[in-house]
Amino acid sequence: MCMSNNHQPKSKRFLMEKSSIWTLNATPGKRVYGEQLKRFSGQEFRRWDPYRSKIAAALLRTKQEPENLLPRPGSNVLYLGAGHGTTISHIHDIVCGSKNHSKGRIVGVDISPRCIRDLLLLVEKRPGFIPILADARKNDWQNAMLQRADWLFQDVSQTGQLDIFLETCGNHLKSDAKALFSFKMASERWTDEAIANQLETMKARIEHSNFVCEEVLDLQGYEDEHFLFVIRSIG
Amino acid sequence: MWLVYDWQAAVVIDQVGQIIDDIQVQGILSTRDILQRLSDLQNNQPTPEALELHHRFSDAQMCQKHEPNLPLFALPEPSIENVEQFDKALILQTKMEIEFGAGHPDRRLEHLVRLSDELRSSQLTLENRCIEWFGDMFPYAQQKRDRHEFLRKASTHEEMATFCESIGIELPQHNMPSKEWNLMRTSAQHVLDLKAEIDRVEQALRMLSNEYLPSVSVLLGPLLAARMCVEAHGRERLSKLPSGTIQVLGAEKAFFHHLKTGSPPPKHGHIFMHPWISHSPKWVRGKISRMLASKVSIAAKIDAFQGEAWTEKDVEKIGKRVEVLRSAKRKKNQK
Repeated sequence: MCMSNNHQPKSKRFLMEKSSIWTLNATPGKRVYGEQLKRFSGQEFRRWDPYRSKIAAALLRTKQEPENLLPRPGSNVLYLGAGHGTTISHIHDIVCGSKNHSKGRIVGVDISPRCIRDLLLLVEKRPGFIPILADARKNDWQNAMLQRADWLFQDVSQTGQLDIFLETCGNHLKSDAKALFSFKMASERWTDEAIANQLETMKARIEHSNFVCEEVLDLQGYEDEHFLFVIRSIG
Repeated sequence: MWLVYDWQAAVVIDQVGQIIDDIQVQGILSTRDILQRLSDLQNNQPTPEALELHHRFSDAQMCQKHEPNLPLFALPEPSIENVEQFDKALILQTKMEIEFGAGHPDRRLEHLVRLSDELRSSQLTLENRCIEWFGDMFPYAQQKRDRHEFLRKASTHEEMATFCESIGIELPQHNMPSKEWNLMRTSAQHVLDLKAEIDRVEQALRMLSNEYLPSVSVLLGPLLAARMCVEAHGRERLSKLPSGTIQVLGAEKAFFHHLKTGSPPPKHGHIFMHPWISHSPKWVRGKISRMLASKVSIAAKIDAFQGEAWTEKDVEKIGKRVEVLRSAKRKKNQK
């Protein structure tokens, strides 16, 4: 059983050096998307590009300790909108590590067969990662969840992103657990309402659904018109 | 009272989530077993465990574990071995879904349509360049309307002199090296090859379209039918689009400009390529395209749900409708 182990110390699988972010490569010598590799004290790390990954951008923008946004090794992770595997490979570095020795489990859901094709290439080298071809709005993927998630990320760029997110968190997030929600402004209907107001309304909805909204990060500069909500379920 | 089940266990719970009875799969499941169970779950079919409990508690309401409004409860946890098998099965399931989707006619159509567009645009550019080149080098050559015939002639002559002879002009004063003449010849050949390639692609497209979209093809012609299907992102979606959308498919720019600024809406998108519309007087095109779009919508539904395909006869009837629209009296203020 892939239990989360909260007592395990956060090993150094994640480094920040000035403004560059690095994760310990679970497949030493191999790149996933042409990223830079570099050795720190004998171990190989992969550079996490904030221009290609919204989580990396958020790590540079957050006012918290960046590690607080990330899942712990051995976590049970749900990832909606897995895309081509850029971000998810770094999450895998942290959660599973080489040959999944941390016994993590990452369920990555995406609607696009093209994306899943890329993700399937990761499967062999990165045990612990399970790609699922499904629509985040529907229920088909829910059977893949064996237990509630320790950490959750959603990046689906569809209308009603927040509805999907709140429902997913309600059904699949453990108590006192972190969830990140990437919100794409352009996917929602265009309204006259100022952006700040819209974000406040969303924040209120999140709080109303019994989640704590810790931060709303504007990713302008890395990913325009995108916001990343850092959310915690109540313990 | 509920009977809740997942892929490996089932429980009967009461209103507050108290477990009354539970049952779990014994031993290690094979991935095939699990795949079967997963597909059962997706089709809302009970697993063997759920059935077993159903015999004991026939009045319990059966549902899966993600049903909303259930009280808090916990299903028995699977063994480590079964979790491993389960994860393997999930990955296998994803692979199977990808394999199943591969080679889908929608995708084949899309690749063919895009390829023919790409070939056509590069063929036209190359052809123009080639014709200009020949015109510049042989200013007295008569390039008639049949450009291909001219290029074909050029490509067959190894010597510049014999080419000039064959088209009845004198050898020009410039003494272009034969290497350069050879390049001219090969580029002419290239243009012709590309043309032949386009024909082959369109032939394949026609075949696929006639087979996959018989009704729409007979109505619009196979090439236009294929384009409509691709623009709609697949046959199934085409069959679900309202005919108003089908009418302006391909005129998105004008349409959203209309929504934004209130400019006149577009009357037709790709459907304009049909001679009923493009060969009609301007003032009646909107009416015909609206009528035709609604017919496309019907034809697409027939194709998508395997109905009896339309034949020429059905299209003739629609042709008569077009005649009626064309012969209608033009109103004074109509442009």
